[in-house]
Amino acid sequence: MTDLTPITALGASAPADQHFGPLRISENADMALASLALRRTADMPAPMGLELPAPGKWSQGQGVAAFWTGPDQWMIEAETRAAEDFAAELASHAPGCSITEQTDAWTVFEIASDRGDAPIRALMEKLVNIDTGSFGPGSATRTGLHHLSVFLVRRAEDRLAVMTMRSMARDLWHVLQETARRLKGEPA
Amino acid sequence: MTRLSGGLIDRSRSLNFTFDGRKLAGHPGDTLASALLANDVRLMGRSFKYHRPRGLIAAGSEEPNALVELRGGARQEPNTRATVAELFDGLDARSQNRIGSLRFDLLGVNDLLSPFFAAGFYYKTFMWPKAFWEKLYEPAIRRAAGLGSLSMQADPDPYDKGFLHCDLLVIGGGAAGLAAAQAAARSGARVILADEDFRLGGRLLAETHLLDDAPAAGWVSGVEEELASLPNLRIMRRTTVFGAFDHGIYGAVERVADHLPEPGDKPRQTLWRITAKRAILAAGAVERHIPFANNDRPGIMLAGAMRAFANRWAVSPAARVAIFTNNDDGHRTAIDLAAKGVDIAGVIDSRDNVTTMGSYPIFAGGVVSDAKGRLGLTKIEVTQNGRSQWIECGALGVSGGWNPNLHLASHHRGRPVWDEALQSFVPAKDGPPGLIVAGAANGQGSTAAALRSGAEAAVQALGELGITGALPDLPQAEDVVSKPHALWHVPGKGRAWVDFQNDVTVKDIKLAHQENMRPVEHLKRWTTLGMATDQGKTANVTALAIMSELTGKPIPETGTTIFRPPYSGVSLSVLGGGNTAGHFRPRRLTPTHHWAEAQGAVFVEVGPWMRAQYFPRPGETHWRQTVDREVLATREGVGICDVTTLGKVDVQGADAGEFLNRLYCNGMKTLKTGMVRYGLMLREDGIAWDDGTCARLAEDHYVVTTTTAQAGPVYRHMEFARQCLWPEMDVQLISTTDAWAQVSVAGPNARRLLERIVDEGVDISNEAFPFMACKGLTICGGLRARLFRISFSGELAYEVAVPTRYGNALMQRLIEIGADLGATPYGTEALGALRIEKGHAAGNELNGQTSPQMLGMGRMVSTKKDSIGAVMSRREGLAADTRRLVGLQPVDSAQPVLAGMHLFTDSAAQNTETDQGWITSACYSPHVGSAIGLGFLARGDERMGEVITGANPLDQQQVALRVVSPHFVDPDGGRLRD
Repeated sequence: MTDLTPITALGASAPADQHFGPLRISENADMALASLALRRTADMPAPMGLELPAPGKWSQGQGVAAFWTGPDQWMIEAETRAAEDFAAELASHAPGCSITEQTDAWTVFEIASDRGDAPIRALMEKLVNIDTGSFGPGSATRTGLHHLSVFLVRRAEDRLAVMTMRSMARDLWHVLQETARRLKGEPA
Repeated sequence: MTRLSGGLIDRSRSLNFTFDGRKLAGHPGDTLASALLANDVRLMGRSFKYHRPRGLIAAGSEEPNALVELRGGARQEPNTRATVAELFDGLDARSQNRIGSLRFDLLGVNDLLSPFFAAGFYYKTFMWPKAFWEKLYEPAIRRAAGLGSLSMQADPDPYDKGFLHCDLLVIGGGAAGLAAAQAAARSGARVILADEDFRLGGRLLAETHLLDDAPAAGWVSGVEEELASLPNLRIMRRTTVFGAFDHGIYGAVERVADHLPEPGDKPRQTLWRITAKRAILAAGAVERHIPFANNDRPGIMLAGAMRAFANRWAVSPAARVAIFTNNDDGHRTAIDLAAKGVDIAGVIDSRDNVTTMGSYPIFAGGVVSDAKGRLGLTKIEVTQNGRSQWIECGALGVSGGWNPNLHLASHHRGRPVWDEALQSFVPAKDGPPGLIVAGAANGQGSTAAALRSGAEAAVQALGELGITGALPDLPQAEDVVSKPHALWHVPGKGRAWVDFQNDVTVKDIKLAHQENMRPVEHLKRWTTLGMATDQGKTANVTALAIMSELTGKPIPETGTTIFRPPYSGVSLSVLGGGNTAGHFRPRRLTPTHHWAEAQGAVFVEVGPWMRAQYFPRPGETHWRQTVDREVLATREGVGICDVTTLGKVDVQGADAGEFLNRLYCNGMKTLKTGMVRYGLMLREDGIAWDDGTCARLAEDHYVVTTTTAQAGPVYRHMEFARQCLWPEMDVQLISTTDAWAQVSVAGPNARRLLERIVDEGVDISNEAFPFMACKGLTICGGLRARLFRISFSGELAYEVAVPTRYGNALMQRLIEIGADLGATPYGTEALGALRIEKGHAAGNELNGQTSPQMLGMGRMVSTKKDSIGAVMSRREGLAADTRRLVGLQPVDSAQPVLAGMHLFTDSAAQNTETDQGWITSACYSPHVGSAIGLGFLARGDERMGEVITGANPLDQQQVALRVVSPHFVDPDGGRLRD
């Protein structure tokens, strides 16, 4: 165990976590990420029992999940394993694939609503040019958000994850805060 | 004037407001315009050029005259149409474009000088002396001809933006729009209904027609209630759809808080980008006036507007009014106002043989030929059968027919088509794909026709999307169509205004015709007709008709008028979407940013990144002191710098080596695992593009670095090569720039410092880990890390990478445990000085004009393999260039060296023909003890020791420079390998 103390993408010792009316936005600093790309000769793997999803989709397994990021390319998520060398472990489950550690390449904000999907949709309408009507649970995409490049994952009707490059975490957090704050006063 | 009966205002509450300091009151439901009329204010502004007293013309967003300044302080907003300003308690409104009071505007003198201000006067006068233009003419004209004024302060309010998607966007909430929305929403389709007004209903709110034997407002409320209950329909009030853009995208501005004194938590306005599979334009129609002498007297307005003020807002501009019309619609105004007890002085109808439709006097075959009442209409001259008489009235409603509001339908250059029967332009069939025009906007102006065409348009639009819709049961409504008599202006001697906002008269159009400015585009520029905030909504068609009369050609042959976005004014603030100041664009922070901030670092923008520029210490009063200290500390002890910003790309796959071989001009396939190589990428044309390092972590795994500035473009280029040039290769790429915090540890004590953090059993001795080695290892008790022995400074140096979250702690640790070794953080300034001292090329040298030969890297371009740009780098033109990278040192060490200086031989004349090169980078070198520079010099490699001149003609600087090796430090490279 290293004796260096990590900081979050926002420069704090604990992840950000804030409520805005029906929405709760929390920084997910514990999730490990690794990209998986198929090599030419590789068969479609099912790492850790995960079924790798089709374009625009996100799929969930036991403690791991994956979303499509490009042709023959996925991002694998592993809950609570940020401190580990998850990429190395994933590599052992995906022979013939190119695995790259991405845990700290991204900052992940989990947005949860306690009033169903409406607040999530209202938030999305202010942030991204994505049709919320066709971005239901299990959807994932990459898009622009206030000049930031982001991945969006609709984890459930009432849950959305937004991730951007870690170096831009401060700007994403600011935008999410501002937008959620403004929506607070408006009916969900 | 007291209020009339009825109206859609809430009389139980009063709203206080001021106009030019006068305290006045209105009611909820009022606009500023209706409230001013209710307070007997007819004079609301001064005209643009002649400063003529002006009042309201219209009741909606087409208003050309009643432009006011709202609010004060930083919130001051010029050129707001009083007709669309929703009244709120505490509203502070002021008239504009005047010196002195509104009643006695000193610039009213312009009106007397009007012969000098005819069409094209800008182009004809103020020609000389030339010097007077900027200093005298322009400021004077701007002062006299401006409209509102700016606060010159930053807008304090937040603005927002958003994105919506729907099956059907209905633009306009009048009869046609409501029927369309109802039909569409009942089908289950996703519908957005947007209307610029704060209340749905459009023209229905302004009329007394019955729908199924009940007032229209009741039907509107019923539909509104139904629509509000449907989850698949979104009503957007106070929302102007201002443009039809490509691929079914519509721009809309929602005025979220314009009707509030201050926005509070809300954004002031929101810019919506609406992606609609289909859209219905149901924007109604705008009435046109009929120019006659002095038709701009306050109190002369459109008859339909007068009716709207009476019916919706329960106000009349005067107790006694007259109507001037060329169609039946004008009579409706007389009937409605008479019903409310307003005295009708008469209806002057240009058509012969018309009879009164109520109990008011009729002047059939008559025209209004003049008007009196400078600050407010007092009487009109009626000419009938060659005889004229003056009739007293305080207001005149003018109806010249209606122009369909087809603006959005022509946003993709769809040219409106002249409809002879309607005497107006109707939308072209080649409008924006997916946009259907309905209701009065399509010439279907009667209430029954509008309702029907709206519903039918919705069913058609849904049908195209495969959604089955049904026509709703529409209420019975009036279905009268009145063809206007083609009367476009009343001939006469006085000035007759066509475009009120730009003070363009019939005479101006005649003058333009006389001066051969006949095409409508020329007419517009010569007279300024149709410009400014109203974009000629009430003027363009009339002007065209007058020009047609002058040319003797029919209207469609004279020209058409088309429109571009925006339909009405859109503020720059809302177009910016609220991104201002520090949030104008994203800023990338390095992993050690927070630590650097705590150290008091000064930051510099490097592309999107904020990097530590230098770390001042107490007592240091000049940045140079700090930078010199950082440079020397690195050369003598050990310096530490965050270099995370360099792009990092993970390259894997069986063909990774071959792939990099083709991208870099030097060989990468032969690189041994565990080693790093400097690499140079060329553009296709053989010019040096980007440099970096390739580290081979495994047989099929490399990590390459790029410059900070080119990280994005190089990655894009690599993806292009992978996906398009050589898709057959087995290569996978992904950026890892943000994943790893990377710090440079440079200086004679670098190894000693690193030995203190690497875990036990990791050997980084010179033998085990030589220059240009790389490996994965663990540090600080098991943290996975990568170590590269590479140097940018010329010193013994390493770059160590750890997962980004540990970067801050690693930096802190290195500084703490390296105190006795002289561990010193350094920023980009010292980084620059160190690399210039070492003669390393960077962005200044790789500026897109330099070849590998010029950089002294000609031999790096491998001839044993092909790579992008290799062949072209050997072309004659490049090969013949003798300029080479050299070092430059002033003969007098006190003299400066500046980047950008051009190089000349000592005695030569200094011009482009004798130019021998230029200085790319310069700094003060604490190591050398003087300023130094790098530059490209003709035959530079053969001229070591020669003294040349560095010239900076901008500051008349001439510096004698000695040509030296670009390697000011350790030219043999011994330190790197130590």
